[in-house]
Amino acid sequence: MKRWLLGLTALFLVALLAPVGAGAQGKDTLTIALPNHAPTLDPHMHFERVGVLVNINMFDSLLHRSAKLEFEPSLATSWKSLNDTTWEFKLRKGVKFHDGSTMTAEDVKYSFDRVLEPGKEKKKSPQYGNVRAIKEVKIVDADTVHIITDKPFPLLLERLVYFGIVPKKHIEKVGEEAFGSTATSGTGPWKLVEWKRDQHIRLEAFDQHWRGKPAFKYVVFRSIPEVATQVAELKTGGVDIIRNVSPDLLGDIKGHPLTRISTTPILRVHYISLDMRTAPFDKKPARQAANYAIDKQSMITKMMAGLGRQVPTVVQPPAFGFDPSVQPYPYDPKKAKELLAQAGYPNGVDITLHSSSTEWRPQFEALGEMLTEVGLRTTTKMWDPGPAWNKFFQAEGKGTHGQYGNWGNYSVFDADAVLHPFYHTEPGGWIGKHYARVEGLDKLIDEGRSTIDQPRRKQIYARIQAMIKEEAPSVFLWTQNDTLGISKKVAYEARPDEWLWLFAAKPAN
Amino acid sequence: MSAFLIRRLLRFVVVCLGVSIVTFSILHASGDPVSLIMPEAPEADREKLRLALGLSDPLPVQFVRFVTNAARGDFGNSFFHREPAFGLVVERMPTTLGLTCLAVALALAVAVPVGIYSAVRRNSLGDHAATVVVFLGQSMPVFWIGIMLMLLFSVQWRLLPVSGWSTWSSMVLPAVTLGAFTTPLFMRIIRSSMLEVVNLDYVRTARAKGVSEWLVICRHALLNAALPIVTVIGLQFGLLLGGAVLTETVFAVPGVGRLIVNAIRQLDFPIVQAGVFLLAIIIVSVNFLVDVLYVYLNPTVRLR
Repeated sequence: MKRWLLGLTALFLVALLAPVGAGAQGKDTLTIALPNHAPTLDPHMHFERVGVLVNINMFDSLLHRSAKLEFEPSLATSWKSLNDTTWEFKLRKGVKFHDGSTMTAEDVKYSFDRVLEPGKEKKKSPQYGNVRAIKEVKIVDADTVHIITDKPFPLLLERLVYFGIVPKKHIEKVGEEAFGSTATSGTGPWKLVEWKRDQHIRLEAFDQHWRGKPAFKYVVFRSIPEVATQVAELKTGGVDIIRNVSPDLLGDIKGHPLTRISTTPILRVHYISLDMRTAPFDKKPARQAANYAIDKQSMITKMMAGLGRQVPTVVQPPAFGFDPSVQPYPYDPKKAKELLAQAGYPNGVDITLHSSSTEWRPQFEALGEMLTEVGLRTTTKMWDPGPAWNKFFQAEGKGTHGQYGNWGNYSVFDADAVLHPFYHTEPGGWIGKHYARVEGLDKLIDEGRSTIDQPRRKQIYARIQAMIKEEAPSVFLWTQNDTLGISKKVAYEARPDEWLWLFAAKPAN
Repeated sequence: MSAFLIRRLLRFVVVCLGVSIVTFSILHASGDPVSLIMPEAPEADREKLRLALGLSDPLPVQFVRFVTNAARGDFGNSFFHREPAFGLVVERMPTTLGLTCLAVALALAVAVPVGIYSAVRRNSLGDHAATVVVFLGQSMPVFWIGIMLMLLFSVQWRLLPVSGWSTWSSMVLPAVTLGAFTTPLFMRIIRSSMLEVVNLDYVRTARAKGVSEWLVICRHALLNAALPIVTVIGLQFGLLLGGAVLTETVFAVPGVGRLIVNAIRQLDFPIVQAGVFLLAIIIVSVNFLVDVLYVYLNPTVRLR
């Protein structure tokens, strides 16, 4: 017994004295904390943000998006539309995959075909919906492909920004499963070294990458679920970048000598969607009253550390089609009361709002208070974002009288990506099919998505924004920021599309 | 002796059966699993899936199929990872068991000497101090202790890595965190069972013979006081595996607990079922082993 104990104590002491391994990072390594990993490294076979962030650094798409949100050549050097439904792409020559093969038009066609699976009824890829408008990818010659859509598809270029090109022969040789876990191969700046589930994904710079060498030789994506742990790792140099820093942690990270904050407005827009089918929000004055009742600027200043921006409707300022001439509803509780009386509720009315955005609970409750003050006496009901909420909201759509949430357009910088899910009433839609009943809006949304004439689309979206500002099918709130915590040893800034494009990262000084 | 073991073995089988009923009902307790898997799909597609998963058979048929498959380690493919759920759980089991065993070892390393000291120097200042310190440890929740230890040892003093599970040093904080949770109980048990024996005749006889105090305590008293400790280790093992869930999340340890928590969030039933089943079987097995050990350690049990 005694000897056993002694051994244990010795073991404990040895462990204490052992060099600190994980904390110290080499200078050529950039380490990112993610809450978890996607189920696969195959860029087409998942739809997880944490996976996209890894994939974009290993795979190139036909186009790239700059930090200023402009399209840039990537695997395609140029592109143009030949007619309403045909786009021509010229491919970059001599691009190498990590497995050593050279990228060809065959690989481009194969990449689309494995997602589109023409002729198959059930599609394997969860990203099928993004590119379903593509009817065919045609190889014209070795360096030219045509992408043909079934009808005019204005979002095509947006959708191509995250659509990795994968090597056909390599995948056919190693098989889909190995491709997604151990034998991944793209054309991007870094290639896979190892993936240890729930621990880390380790990448190494690919020396034949067409852009040249990245500043960091190694990139590591560690899986760390707990936010407090991520912050502790950041402060001790165990990781260099953490994402989604909440307002209450800003001061802590800003005040530490080794860390800083980088923040930028993003697409994610907050809203209360109102159920227009039932009282009281079947009446326009009641919906407008709700919009006048919210003091958006105070909420942003006091509850979000100033990291937000009021919006006139749900269309976000950086999205294509945003009309700056439409102004946000001002805060005017007196007017709100008047409008509510006009709607037939001079003594107010009881309503219930629902939400599953647990991390925004304080804001949700504050919104309820402000509505209550003008006579929309609100009960806020917070749901666990699990099965019960799905059933409640998706299957039956009974989120009466409204629902508070936020929407990120799946990073598509176009008004259609928020207007269609919110307000179009077609059966396949999202909230719109349950809640929105705005006369003539469906037709305008359809018009906007069926031409590739951008100036004309802009006009249509301007009309829609004026219309929904007046009709108020939602309470329009604000867009939030994406906030990164970054080590002072690393030069990198947050992007409006929430991407981590690490080719732009450099050691500071 | 063998009758006793057979009785215990029978109980083991019954408990296993109970475990499989509970695990089986996880899937059904949350309503219609098919509408959870594909909430937006048309009824025809749901019917297809229901047939493919065998969910339209009567419940007893489904249960027998579940148990036969489970016995072969087949819980179906994880919805999220798209590979066998059992494999995913087994892959992470050594980490969780390692963490738990380390925690038990650490807890014993602290509890045994302190417990003995408290019993021998009963009501001394040291006894009271030990009690207070150790109980402070137990009244703090695992995740809180974890974060506090992390802030002190890793952020403030830079002695140990913040998180991960790669080097020996990265295992210290998770093991201490989990161990702190169970140390007080071990200590109390050791103290009270030591108190029971230190004043018995045979201990006094040993002392009278002139045996050194050290030998009296360690050989004569402690060996006889060890029985309840063995039992408690068995009982605590289950609690510790549960505590490992939180510890693994705080310290980013790639274990079963974290896998199950994630799977619950993603409605990934096969993993939840495989994980709960395997953990339960391990706990039951440990307790069975403790029973067997008990027989070996304490001959009086055999006679009953």
